[in-house]
This record gives sequence, structure tokens and C-alpha cells, in this order.
Amino acid sequence: MIHLDGVSKIYGNGCVALSDITLDIPKGDFVFVVGPSGAGKSTFIKLIFREELPTKGKLIVNGRNVGELEPSEIPYLRRNLGIVFQDYRLLPNKTVYENVAFAMQVIESSRRDIQKRVSHVLDLVGLRHKAKNFPGELSGGEQQRIAIARAIVNNPVVVIADEPTGNLDPETSWDIMRIFERINRDGTTIVMATHDKSVVDAMKKRVIAIEKSRIARDQVKGVYGYED
Amino acid sequence: MKIRTMEYFIKEALSSLKRNGLMSFASVTTVALSLLILGMFLVMVLNLNNMASTLESQVQISVYLQDGLTDHEMREVGTRITKIPGVVQVNFVGKEEAMNRFKERLGEQQGLLNALGEANPLPNAFEVKVDKTERVKAAAQAMMQFKGVENAKFGQEVVEQLFALTKMVRIFGLVIIVFLALAALFIISNTIRITVFARRKEIGIMKYVGATNWFIRWPFLLEGMMLGFGGALVAVLFLNETYGILIHQVYETLAFLPLIPQYPFITNISVVLLVTGTVIGALGSTISLRRYMRV
Ligand SMILES: Nc1ncnc2c1ncn2[C@@H]1O[C@H](COP(=O)(O)OP(=O)(O)OP(=O)(O)O)[C@@H](O)[C@H]1O
Ligand SMILES: [Mg+2]
Repeated sequence: MIHLDGVSKIYGNGCVALSDITLDIPKGDFVFVVGPSGAGKSTFIKLIFREELPTKGKLIVNGRNVGELEPSEIPYLRRNLGIVFQDYRLLPNKTVYENVAFAMQVIESSRRDIQKRVSHVLDLVGLRHKAKNFPGELSGGEQQRIAIARAIVNNPVVVIADEPTGNLDPETSWDIMRIFERINRDGTTIVMATHDKSVVDAMKKRVIAIEKSRIARDQVKGVYGYED
Repeated sequence: MKIRTMEYFIKEALSSLKRNGLMSFASVTTVALSLLILGMFLVMVLNLNNMASTLESQVQISVYLQDGLTDHEMREVGTRITKIPGVVQVNFVGKEEAMNRFKERLGEQQGLLNALGEANPLPNAFEVKVDKTERVKAAAQAMMQFKGVENAKFGQEVVEQLFALTKMVRIFGLVIIVFLALAALFIISNTIRITVFARRKEIGIMKYVGATNWFIRWPFLLEGMMLGFGGALVAVLFLNETYGILIHQVYETLAFLPLIPQYPFITNISVVLLVTGTVIGALGSTISLRRYMRV
């Protein structure tokens, strides 16, 4: 599903964020990306959805060579990806329903599909009853669940998330994790950068640790491994 | 493109126009002013051109006779004129008739002539038509030599001056129009820049969920085109109204001035202005999209 072969990322200012990363994430995997601050986790996530270009090496996502994608092909890469950020990124002047529907509107789905899918994913994150509310009227955890609903509404093959629980308390984080687990069980690959030690330790998923831009550890059923 | 998508684009564009009310107003006003001036220049240049060619096609020679000729002498001159090569028509216009025509031309301002009392300073004359414009000059020069002829005048000079004037207006107008078009372009691109800025969050999300660049661009492009079209519409309405009034006024006071009739003349100019406005709008937003959206 995601394949890196000797991938490096050096930013314009000379900062080496990733060096010579080679790894393989097969379909259906649930991967935690951990590591100290500044190690290169976010950079790794950004490479996957072609926010940043790899400086060296080959990166294949869902069969596409991301490094050689034409700008006009980027949208089609992203239609197969669901992206979740730490800061939710909902539109404040649209309702919950409209926020989720927006992701389908902009890829020109039919009205009927939109109605069906949006209701379905709102059910899945347990917030169908908030459909008419605005994001400002929701708690942080609820807003993140809406963001997840938006990320999966187009049936992506991979969901990538950069510290999705970074702003949430432990209890709420667990609600979010259960949703990701549920999505993963339905066959969607999950790649998540996180600092959430208790979650990583408890869930026993694959853990890739990045330190100083390199892979320090890649464990099946791994643990967080740092003292935060 | 799906109808639903088009609906969405138009809705987005309209809501932006409303949200940036003041900037939208400024843009429409600038476009309207620029295009109004463009329209006025078009009206002027085309009318001057039209006048020049109308006059050119009607070039005739007025042969003024000396005072105090006998009827016989005058008839003699007439006969000699007819024999000049190219002359196709010779009409005698006596002093009285000339005065009557002059009065007619003056219309309501006839009162000016009262100062003359009974005196009639206008000479007897022949109006001579020549088959080809190129022959006018030679014919006039020949007539000037005839005994009893005071002067022979033709409109060539006026025509040439009119053409020269048209050329000047055209060059001068072009400079002003280029300048104004740039101003309109600048203000529209600024308006769109503000819209892009107000919507940067939305644009970001659209990119993440895989909207194509064209899907993201369209609402902004439409907004620019609406601004351009709106400005052009204001200019067109104003131009149509003023040209109508102008024609009416000229008809009442300076009836001999050959203005181009309002329709379909103004309709054609309107089409030009509306297309220009829309294109300026589209260009303006393209500039902003290139610079501020990187899509
Ligand atoms: N756009 C950029 N331009 C230049 N350098 C950057 C850019 N983004 C990140 N970096 C640098 O690249 C390195 C890796 O950053 P990255 O954001 O990937 O770290 P991270 O592992 O996500 O850290 P954190 O856990 O704090 O989120 C850092 O040293 C950072 O300063
Ligand atoms: Mg980060």
C-alpha cells in the first residue's frame, strides 16, 4: 500500500528531516509512527499525501509513484487518502453535515450518494444527532470525530493522521482510537503519528520509531518506548 | 461539468461578492468607468470616421462667382464648367437660394441674421459634382481660372483634417484605455486576492480531500467575471442613455452633422464592452489565483 525505498527529505533550508528510509506498509496495517519532537514524523506523513516531495528515493502510495506525480494527478492520489490533523480543520461556518458532505461535493459525488454516505459515517463516529450543529458548538473530541468522518467519507484505502489526539484528554483519546480501530477492522490502512504513550502501549499495533530522521525501530505489536 | 457543480460554483461566487461588498463595489465602479471611457472613444472614433467617409463620398465643388456678373456671363461660366472632364452635374444656386438654405441650417438661431438687415452677403454659385474623387482637385483648379469665378472650394481639406483628427483621437484613446484596463485588472485581482485569503482554509481542505485545481479555481474565476461583466453592464447602460440624448440634441440643433444612428451601433459597442469586461475579470482573477493560491 505504502512503499518507501531509500527516501530522504531535506528541506530548502538544509534541514534533514528524513534520511534513507526504507519500509513497507501493506494493506490493512495499523501503524503508529513515534519518536521525539523534530524527528521527522510529520514530514513522513506529509510525504505520503504529497504535501512535500521526497528529495531522494522512491515513494509509492496506492500504486502511484508520488515523487513523479504531475500536479494535476495529486487530487486523484488524495481521493484515496483520508487525512486527519491535530487541529481538526473544520469549516466554522458550515454545519457538521455540510463539513462532511463538502469532501464529497468537491469531488462531484451525486446528491444521493452524499446523503447516504454522510449519514453512514456520522453514525459510525456516533454523532449523527449533531448533524445540524456548527463545529463551534462541539467539544474537541467531537470535532475530531467529525474530521475523521470527513476523512473516511470517500472510502479511502489509507487514513493518515498526524497526532489526532494531541489536543485531547486521555478519555476522549480512547474514543477516537476506538473509531480508528473500527475503521481499520473494515480493511482501511491506518498510519498515525502520535505522542500518546498509553494508547500505543495498550493497542499493540505495529510501531515505527523515527529518531534524528532515521528509523530506529520497527516492531510488530510494539510499544511506545519513550518516557514522556 | 455537472449542473449541480455549476450551481455550487455560482453560489460560491455570489456569496463572495456579497461578503466583500465594498471591494466588489469598487471593482465594478472601476471597470464601469474604464469601459465607459473605452465606449466613448469607440463612439467618437467611429463617428469621426463615418463623418469623414460620408463627406468624402459627397465631395462637391462650390464655385463662387464674382458679384455683378450679368445672367449671360454667368451662363457662360456654367457652360465652360460642364465641358471640364469628369463633371457630371452642375447646379446653379443663386444668392437668394443660398440665403434660404443658410437660414434653414441655422434653424432656431435664425435671429442671428437680423443684424444683416436686407443685405445678402452670399455670392451666386454653382454646385458641381465630379464622377471621381481623384478628379476633384484638378477640376477645381481649372474652374478657378475662368473669368468671373471668384473661388472654387471643395471639401477635401475638411475630409483630410477629419481623418487626421480620427487618428489622433485613436492614439490618445489607446493610451488612456490601456492605462484604465490595467487599473481595472489591478483592482479585480486585488478583490479576488481578498476572497482567496478569506477562503484559504476552505481551499486547503479542498486540496486535502482531492478537489481538482479547476474545481477550486472556478468560483474565483466566476467571481472575477461577474465583477467585470457587472462593470461593463453599468457602462453599457450609461453609454446607451447618453448616446440617445446626444443624437436627440444633435438632431435638433446641428442636423447636418451625420451621426451614426443609435441602433444597432450602440448594441455592437455594448457587445464589445461586455466581452471586454468579462475578459478583464477573468484575467484579473487568474493573476490572483496564480500568485496566491498556487493551484
Ligand atoms: N517546512 C519546513 N521547512 C524547513 N524545515 C522543516 C519544515 N518542516 C519541518 N522542518 C524541520 O524538519 C524536522 C522534522 O520536522 P517534523 O515536523 O517532521 O518533526 P516531528 O517529528 O513531526 O516533530 P513533532 O513531534 O514535534 O511534531 C525538524 O527539524 C523541523 O524543524
Ligand atoms: Mg509533527
